[in-house]
Amino acid sequence: MAEINPEYLDLDADMSKRDMDQSPVFLLEKIKQEGRVWGDLCEQYGVKNPDPPWRVTLEATCDMLAENNCRTSDTGEAAQTAEAEKDTKVLDGIERRWEEDHLVKEHYANVPFPENQLLALAHTLIRRGLMDENELARKMKEVDQRLNMT
Amino acid sequence: MTDEHKPHAPAPMVDEVSEFEVLEIAVRELAIEKGLFTAEDHQRWTEYMHTLGPLPAARLVAKAWLDPEYKKLAVTDGVKASLEVGIDWVNSMPTKFGTPSDYCNLRVLEDTPTLHHVVVCTLCSCYPRPILGQSPEWYRTPNYRRRLVRWPRQVLAEFGLQLPEEVEVRVEDSNQKSRFIVLPVRPEGTEGWTEDQLAEIVTRDCLIGVALPRPGKTANDPRPVRPALKPYHH
Repeated sequence: MAEINPEYLDLDADMSKRDMDQSPVFLLEKIKQEGRVWGDLCEQYGVKNPDPPWRVTLEATCDMLAENNCRTSDTGEAAQTAEAEKDTKVLDGIERRWEEDHLVKEHYANVPFPENQLLALAHTLIRRGLMDENELARKMKEVDQRLNMT
Repeated sequence: MTDEHKPHAPAPMVDEVSEFEVLEIAVRELAIEKGLFTAEDHQRWTEYMHTLGPLPAARLVAKAWLDPEYKKLAVTDGVKASLEVGIDWVNSMPTKFGTPSDYCNLRVLEDTPTLHHVVVCTLCSCYPRPILGQSPEWYRTPNYRRRLVRWPRQVLAEFGLQLPEEVEVRVEDSNQKSRFIVLPVRPEGTEGWTEDQLAEIVTRDCLIGVALPRPGKTANDPRPVRPALKPYHH
């Protein structure tokens, strides 16, 4: 029988020790309750694509936050150094995935993928202070008005 | 008017903006406003990601089935073998030197009649995206990641893959240094097939190792996603 990855044990121990706010985020709870998921939209409109068009852009956002090396504006030898990586890594990818697992289980268990990945990312960004819930709400309103402009 | 000149019915499309779509854009734009990354880098990366899919990996397997020398290359140097199916693990990336999340090391795991490989990432959800595209939902779930390493035969059976006892099952755990794809045994009934025909039956699930290729099977089965009822606790 294979063993649990020791790296995961270390990560789990480290992340479990952190005093993270586990409470729900009001804005995201509202979206969870009222938002229409891609599967439902596909059924209504007869669309076959299994993934919403924003899945790839969401993945790209996660990559951008996690990996300084995804960025081309700072290519070159300096960008590949450990120091450069440390300076420009906003949200470690492995930590984000650990938090996503836990947030989905705790708050978004009934939300399908990739909507649950999106909610977990927004939750992590807010709880880590990288975004403020109110400014995200304001931004959503602005985007909504723009997209629904006729 | 011939059929080919008749106007096509427009493909159905979702004609409303969901809260989730708005949230995705808002998160991205706010991150850009805050200087967490630039719009240009995000766009370039997104364009690159849109080019990715499982076809190059399927073609690599098909070529290996047809060409013993190429098979040797594939199992000894997956990165070099990838070049022949159009994937440059280093220079394809917009950065021109790969990324930490897609480390420039691909290992091709050769199955035999008595050995079957299956791939997982127990730590997060590392996946050979440059040659296989985006990972499926089930691959990301704690249920698959935790249980496969403990009960591989049972988990594979849940995917509909029943392996005889005499076949050893080897689970390869992706890590920060390596990505994996499976090179399955070429199935019977494919004698005389072309590379294109063979590539069609090498589905994403075959390349992860949760299915076996067979003639006539060209798509992945829908997979139910289950919560981890007995997740790992230490």
